[in-house]
Formats: sequence, structure tokens, C-alpha cells
Amino acid sequence: MSTLEIKDLHVEVSDEESQKTKEILKGVNLTMSTGEIHAIMGPNGTGKSTLSQTIMGQPAYHVTQGDILLDGESILDMPVDERARRGLFLAMQYPAEIQGVTNAEFLRAAINARRADDDQISVMAFLKELDKNLALLDMNESMTERYLNEGFSGGEKKRNEILQLLMIKPKFALLDEIDSGLDIDALKVVSKGVNSMRGDNFGSLIITHYQRLLNYIVPDVVHVMMGGKIVKTGDADLAKTLEKEGYAGLRDDLGIDVALVDED
Amino acid sequence: MNAVESTETLNAALVASATEHRDPDWLVAQRTAALAQIEQLRVPKFHRFTYRDWNLLDHRLLWQASDPTLAAGITQASDHGQIIQVGQTTVAVNLPQALRDQGVILTDLFTALTQYPELTKPYLNQIIPATEDKLAAYHVAYLNGGLFLYVPQNVVVDDPIEAHIVQDSTQDGPQVSHVLIVADQGSQVAFTQHLTTQGTRANLVNNVVEIVANDNSRVKFASVDELGRDTLTYFNRRALVKHNAEVDWAVGLMNLGDTLGQFDTNLVGEGAQTETKVVAITSQDQREGINTRITNRGKHTVGNILQRGVLLGTSELVFNGIGDIIHGASGANAEQENRLLMMTPGTHGDANPILLIDENDVIAGHAASVGQVDQSQLYYLMSRGIDRKTAERLVIRGFLSTVLSAIPSKNVQQQLIKTIERNLQNG
Repeated sequence: MSTLEIKDLHVEVSDEESQKTKEILKGVNLTMSTGEIHAIMGPNGTGKSTLSQTIMGQPAYHVTQGDILLDGESILDMPVDERARRGLFLAMQYPAEIQGVTNAEFLRAAINARRADDDQISVMAFLKELDKNLALLDMNESMTERYLNEGFSGGEKKRNEILQLLMIKPKFALLDEIDSGLDIDALKVVSKGVNSMRGDNFGSLIITHYQRLLNYIVPDVVHVMMGGKIVKTGDADLAKTLEKEGYAGLRDDLGIDVALVDED
Repeated sequence: MNAVESTETLNAALVASATEHRDPDWLVAQRTAALAQIEQLRVPKFHRFTYRDWNLLDHRLLWQASDPTLAAGITQASDHGQIIQVGQTTVAVNLPQALRDQGVILTDLFTALTQYPELTKPYLNQIIPATEDKLAAYHVAYLNGGLFLYVPQNVVVDDPIEAHIVQDSTQDGPQVSHVLIVADQGSQVAFTQHLTTQGTRANLVNNVVEIVANDNSRVKFASVDELGRDTLTYFNRRALVKHNAEVDWAVGLMNLGDTLGQFDTNLVGEGAQTETKVVAITSQDQREGINTRITNRGKHTVGNILQRGVLLGTSELVFNGIGDIIHGASGANAEQENRLLMMTPGTHGDANPILLIDENDVIAGHAASVGQVDQSQLYYLMSRGIDRKTAERLVIRGFLSTVLSAIPSKNVQQQLIKTIERNLQNG
């Protein structure tokens, strides 16, 4: 079993234009283990994506206080690629497009990056695994010979993120708004992919605005984030309550003093 | 020794050497006329690139045999046209009988000049005349090797003709070589060349390509230039494109030494077309200046330039894209894109679109950029566990890939991919 611990995490970002720094996360605490699916919900601008990017190691986010531990070891000094090889995966909201590099070539490079030089995946084993996952995600084989995300529609990009998840098989997957821009059929396919990973050796932290995704990927734990902190933790029912009552209701119940972006 | 005496001495030596080599009289006359002009002529101008301290003239017309085993690594072909040369020594010419029967000619240049004067004399040094500049004149005067490809009227050559040209730097001496391609009316051919160096002597290469594309013909020219670090290179590659003909260039400039190069496509006939695609990698303290010019002279001519370069170490790379639309070329279309990627802080890159338009009824556009690797692309690749160096290589290869698909031969494509990988690792 692996664990991911986030302890009193404070994170700031610097705005390139104004040269000013702004604190986004103000003391986040969260512990999860493989075998568990956690969801983080919260209003816009509350730091959900910042949390996932910081865990992955995006260089624009600066940890000013606290720690992130993977199996008890701090990962803060590790570069992005090392965190990935240790078992973290981030399905991004806006995946980069890379011309001239095919999807298949990229996937092999990512898989082989985790393996020793004398133990690279064979072409046969790779193709077998690829075919299986393409079928699971209802993806056309031609996607693999296309350039990485180039000219992909929003839905294709999301599916491609999940394809990578299935091929790379991380310990912990951070899914950042994987449901945004998906129609209901695509949402089901993406959920099917994530659910197929469920098991003792896989954990996921799902970031979403909406409860809808959580009908398909039922979480073990739901956290609500507001104003850069986790303000409430519960089970799958918490998401349903939120869907009914909205974030403002919860904020007022808890007596928290934050402005919601979408509030008039 | 004063200048007059010096020129006389050089001329005597040149004539003696050319005569010893049994050059045809007309070529000897071209040589001496060119030599007489070298002094007065100017060097070609490269916008924002100086090479004043480069010695691009080596006044020796030497006839040297090379060891054919220097080409031992090259696989001989039997199913498509192929020529292998080491220095001035032609190691092999393989031309399928079917092509011979149709009148296709592939041979070393000097054999062609004596055997096929009617096909070579009207064109050799006519597309790039000696009077043009100092380096063109030097080329004509000191020409010492090359090859000739002729495709007769309406003959379609299916498989690319491959040339492997090895510069022999196991011995001293300049390589002044010339590729002459004549595609007659309605013919189609793809020609690929791979230039490499064996040995580490500090030698000069002066390499000219002249392509004549007669009416309705199609020529695809691809090259992987991979000359050694101790080689100083000047090249000039030019096509004359006639009525409804097309000449496409796909070139990977992977030389390790200082390089000065010109591409020039002269769209003289109505409806003539070109796609000119060039990618380059420069490394260490290498300096490279490239002028890529298209002249739209005929009506409804279409010319596109796409250049991409990657700079490593403390290298310098200048891409000038020159679009020249002559008055009267109505309906012409000229687009160009020049992009440079600087991988390290000490590099110097310049991408200059230069448009000279003397006609109103045209479509012309350009894009240029000089920048660094996109950090969001690197982050994305690294977030999948790929280390920074590999991620950078993938991004760069993608950046350079536009030219790969334009190369007509799978062999040459693979060669260029390998060379790109090697240059990036050594950078």
C-alpha cells in the first residue's frame, strides 16, 4: 500500500505581469492511500487545480510552508519527471500539443522511462496493452499514429489523458476536471477507464466542479475546498448535498468568510 | 609578388592542371575566364551574418584518388538508381536497366562533360554563372568533382535516385563539387543526396547544385548535409523552373562545421512552383548563415519557404528568407515561415523575412520567430516520467519534423532522424 500525505500546504504563485505573488493554498491537509478514490470539490478559483499542479511539481507554483510526502518521503525537492516515475500522474485540464511526436511513440517513451535500460517493453507487449486500452476507451486505432494531442478535440484530449493513465499505471492519479467539456457518452467512457484502474494498488484524487462525474466514479471520500483550505470532508453523500444546496449554503453553515467568484 | 604576377601564376597552374586532366577546351576556357574575375567580384551578401574571416578560396586544382573503402559503410543498391563517390573517386554507379533503356543518365560529372556535351554544356555553370559573385567564380575555376543526372522527356522515375558523396578529409585539398540535374519536359524524378566526411583534415567544401526543370517536369531534391567539424562549407543550390514545372527542396543541414549556404529557386515559367523546406541544427561554436530565395518571375507562380532551426552550445544560425516578386508576375503567391529554437542562453539566432515585391496582383505572407522551447510542452512530457533531456529531444524533433515528411526516400528520412538525434546528443 502506498500513501500520499499533504501536510499544512501553503502555496503561492507569482503573476508574471505584476511581479506580485499571491497565496492560493493556505494550509491544506489531506491523506490518502492506494485503494481509495478521493474527490475534491469546490467553487471556482479556490485552489483545486493549484493543489494538483503543486503535487505534480509545476514550476510556477511555490511551496512556502508544509510538505508533500509519498510513502513517507518528501517529494518537494524532486523534479516533475522523478515524481512521475515514483508513481504520480496528473491528467491535465489543458494537455499540451506536440507536433511531430506520435501518440504511440510518446506512450512507449513514458512506459520505458519507468523501466531499466535492459528491460524496455517489447513492441508486442506494448501493442497488446495499447489495443486493449483503446478498445476499453472506445478509441480509434488511428489516434495512436496522430501527433500528440495535435488537432484533437476537447473530448479526444480527455480520452487521451485516460489512455495514458491506463498505459502508465501510476500509484496515484490526479484528475483535474477530467469531466469538463465532455458529453454524457464521453463521460461514461472516461469513467469506465478510471474505474478499470480501481484496486489495491491505485488511488485517485478527482477534482471536479460538479457532482455528475461522481455518479460514475463513486468516491470513498469527498473533500470540499474553499479559500485555499479543505473545509469539510465526508463520504459520497456530501457531494450530493452540495449539488442540492450549493457552495454558498455550506460556506454560511460553516461560517467561513470567503467570497465566491460566481456570487453576485 | 604583386597581384598581376600572382594571377598569372595561378592561371598557369590552373590551365596546366585542367589540361593534364583532359578537360574539354570549353571548360578550360570557362575556368580561366572565371579565375580572371575572382579578384574583382564581391562575396555574396548574407543579411546580418558576417564571414569576413573565413577563407573560402583554396587556389589548388588537385586531382586526387581516394580510398574506395571510405564508402564501405554504404549499402549498394540494385533496385534503384544510386551513385557513390568518395572525393573525386566514383566508387559505384547503379542504374537499373529499365531506366537506362529509357535514356536516363547517371554518371560522374567529368565523364558526362566528355560523353554528353550536348546535354551538359548548355547548362553547366549557366544557372549560377561565374560572373555572379566571388564564390561562384571560384567554383567554376576550381571545379574538381560531381555528378550528372538526366531524365529524358516524359520519363517518370519511380524510385528516388540516391547519391552518397563522401568528402575525403583523410588528405588535404578542397572539394569543389557540382551536381547537375536536367529534367526534360514532362519528366519526373526524385533525387536524394547524403553528404558526409571521412577524416579530420581542415578542408574547404564548395558545393553547387544546378537543377533545370523544363516545362511540365517535377523534381524533388532532398539532402542530408552531414559534413564534419573540420570542414568549412559553402554551398549554392539553384533551380530554374519553367512552364508548369515544380521543384521541391527538403534539406536537413546537419553539418558540424561553419557553413554558408544559398538556396535559390527561379520560377521563370508561368505556373511554376516550389516548396522549399530547410531544417538545421547548429552546435558548439559553429556559425551558419543561410539565404533561401525564391524569385517569382512567371505569372501564377507559387513559392513557399519553410525554415526551422535549433541552436545549441554557443552557436550562431541566421535564416534569411528572400521572396522576390518581379514586376509582371501577376497572380504570384509567395509565403514564408522562418523559425528558430534556442536551446541554450549563449546562442545567437536570427530569422529574417525579406520581401521584395514589385507587382500588385500577388499574395504574399511571412511569419518569423526566435524563441525557446515551450515550457508547457516540456512540463507535459516530464509529467509522464520522461526526463528533461529526452523531453527536449522529442520537442525538438517535433519542431523539425515538418521537413521529414517532405523527404521522398524512407532511407533518407531515417538517416535524417538518426543524424538529428546524434547532433542533439553531441550538442
